[in-house]
Amino acid sequence: MAPMWDVVERAFTGPFCEEQDYLSRRLIPALQAAVKRHRIKYDPATPVPWDDALADAVWQAAVELFLEAGVYHQDTHRIILFSEEEVREALYAAPESYTVGSGRDARTFGRREVEDARPPFCILSPDITYDEPLFLPVCLAYLREPLLDGFCAPVLESFLGEKIKAYTPLELGGSLEHAMSLREAARLIGRPGVFLVAVGTAESDSAQISVSQEGWGVRPTDSRLVGSITEFMTNNQLLNKAVHYRQYGCFSGSLTGAIYGGYAGGAEGTAVLETAYHLKGLLVHFCSYQQNFPFHLKYGSNTTRELLWVTSVYSQAIARNTRLVQTSNGFANAGPGTDMLLYEAAAHALASTVCGANLWEIATARNKCHNRATPLEARLAAEVGHAAARMRLTRRQANEIVLKLLQRYEAGIPDAPPGREFAECYDVAKARPRPEYLDQYRRVKRELGEMGIRFCY
Amino acid sequence: MTAKENLISAVAEGRTEDAEAGARQALSEGLDVHALVQELTAAMREVGARFERLEIFLPEMMASAEAMMAAMEVLRPALEGGAGDAARATVVMGTTRGDMHEIGKNIVGVMLKANGFQVVDLGPNVDPLVFIKRAAEAGAAVVGISTLMTTTMPAAREVIELMKEYGVRDRYKVMVGGAPTSAAWAKEIGADGWAEDAAGAAALAMELVGGGR
Repeated sequence: MAPMWDVVERAFTGPFCEEQDYLSRRLIPALQAAVKRHRIKYDPATPVPWDDALADAVWQAAVELFLEAGVYHQDTHRIILFSEEEVREALYAAPESYTVGSGRDARTFGRREVEDARPPFCILSPDITYDEPLFLPVCLAYLREPLLDGFCAPVLESFLGEKIKAYTPLELGGSLEHAMSLREAARLIGRPGVFLVAVGTAESDSAQISVSQEGWGVRPTDSRLVGSITEFMTNNQLLNKAVHYRQYGCFSGSLTGAIYGGYAGGAEGTAVLETAYHLKGLLVHFCSYQQNFPFHLKYGSNTTRELLWVTSVYSQAIARNTRLVQTSNGFANAGPGTDMLLYEAAAHALASTVCGANLWEIATARNKCHNRATPLEARLAAEVGHAAARMRLTRRQANEIVLKLLQRYEAGIPDAPPGREFAECYDVAKARPRPEYLDQYRRVKRELGEMGIRFCY
Repeated sequence: MTAKENLISAVAEGRTEDAEAGARQALSEGLDVHALVQELTAAMREVGARFERLEIFLPEMMASAEAMMAAMEVLRPALEGGAGDAARATVVMGTTRGDMHEIGKNIVGVMLKANGFQVVDLGPNVDPLVFIKRAAEAGAAVVGISTLMTTTMPAAREVIELMKEYGVRDRYKVMVGGAPTSAAWAKEIGADGWAEDAAGAAALAMELVGGGR
C-alpha cells in the first residue's frame, strides 16, 4: 500500500490536467466505458437485486475506473494515480473491523456480508443544522437511543449568537463548542465513551485540527470524516485533514456521495462511481471506513427507486469483493412527523442491511430544513436493520418488502412533505418524543410487521 | 436529412464534430443564420428540459452544450449585426468563499450557455472582491452566486454588501442559489433573484436581462 507521504507526493508530481478536461475527457468517458464493458443494467422492477454477477461486475468496473481515471487534485491540477498492485495490496491489508469508542461503551465496528445475520453497526445522525440552544437537547435525545452504536451530532449554524462563517475564527469557535457540548452530552446521558463522529461544524482543516483533544474534544477512539468533492476529487484541505487524522490516530470515514443524474449519469454509473469511492477513501484519504450517501440530483435524497438500487448494488459489490467497512447513509424526502419519512427510513435500512452495509440514519426533508430531524426515524431504521439481520432476510425477500414500501411513498416524492421541527415532535426539556409522535412510530412499526419484518422486540 | 436537420440533431445528440460540419454546410448552403440560431437555441432548451426531467443526464447535456458552442463558433462571423439569443448577456458566476462544492454551479453554467449566455466561471471558493472585479472586467450583466453550506451562505451577502460599498450594486443583477438557500433568504440579503434549480436559474437570468421567462 502506498505510504501516506508517497500519496501526498503524487499530488504534486502526477500528470497535469485542467479540471474540466479531467471531468469531461477522463472521468466521464472512463466511467461510461466501464459500465458498457461490463453490461451493467439498472432494473427498476428490482430495487434490491440479488444477482451476484451484477455486484461483481460493478466491483470490476469500479476498480478499472479508479485505475484509469485516478483522483484529481484541485489545487495542484494533477492526477493521483495508483497501480493495480497497490490497489490489491491496500485491499488485502485493510482491517475488517475496529474497536471504537472506549470503556463499557466500546463496540466492534466491522464489515458485514451480504445477507449477514450480524446486525448492522448503527450510527445515528440528524445530518442537519440546529439552533445553538437546541444542540445539547438534540444530542441527548439521540444518545438515549438504545440501538445507537455511534453518534454524529447536529451541525451548528451559530456560535455565541453569531452566524458561523466557514474558514474564520467563528468556525473555529463553533467547532470547539460542538466538540465540548457533544462530549458533555455523552457524559450526561451516561455513555461517556460512546463512539462519536465529529465535528461536522468544522469545514476547514484548521477547525478540525483544533478539536483533536483527548479531554474535552475528539479522541483517538472517535472518528472524523474526510468529505469528498464531486466527483472523484481531492485538494489540500482534504489531504491536510486526512494526514492529521492518521497522525492523531483516530478513525476516519471517507464521506462520499455520487450524484445520480450528475457526472455519473444514470443508476449504473452512480453505482460504479460510489463503489470506486471506496478505493479513493482507502488509498487517497487513508480512511478506516466508507460513509456512502449517493443521492438524486433533483431531490437530494436516496430513497427513490433508482437510488435504492444504487445503494443495494454498491453495498453488495463491496461486501462480496472486499474486507472494507462501509456505512449507508439515508437521505429521505419527507420530514419528521410524517408516515412517509418512516416508510423511507425502513426501505433504506432494509436495502442497506441485507446487502452488507452498516447503517447511518437518517437525514430528512431532503437534508435542507434546519432543526428538522429526530431520533425516532433513526430508531425505526436501526430496528429494521436489526430485524432484517436477525431473521436472515434474503435480498429477494427484502426486495418484496421494499416494493410494498415504494408503493406507499414513491408517488409522493416530488412533493414530499417537509414535516415538523424537532421541538414540535419532542419534549425538548426531557429530550423525549411527544406521545402522539410515539404513537405514529408504533403504528407504522406495526404496519411493517404486517409486511413481514419480525422486529427483535 | 437537410443540412439544418443534421445540425440540429448533432447538437441535440451532443456530436461536436458533426455539429461543426453541419454549421459549415449550413453556411455554404446560404441558410438564414439568424433563424438557424433561433432553432438551435430552441433545440438546446429542449435538451435542458429533458435533463430537468432526468430523461438524459449531465454528461449528455454537457456534450450538447459543447456541440452547440462548436456550431456557434462556426456561425458567429455570419451573425454580425444582431445575433438574437446567441448574444445574450454575460453571467459571471462562482461559489462563495470557503465553499469547494461546485457541481450545482457547473450545471447552471451549462444551462446558461445552452440558452445563449456568455458564462465566466470563477470556480469554487471565490473571494467577494473577485466577484466584483471579474464582473467589471467581463462587462457582466448578471452575477451568479452559489453556496452549498450554511456556513458559506453569509459570504453571498458579503458580495452584495461589497458591491454597495464600491457603488456598483446597480450595475449588476445578482442571482443566488444552492441547496440550503431559499427565496426568503435571497430577498433578505438583497439579491435580485433566487432559483431552486438549473432550469429555474436559466429562466431567471433571462428574466433579469429582460428576455422574459
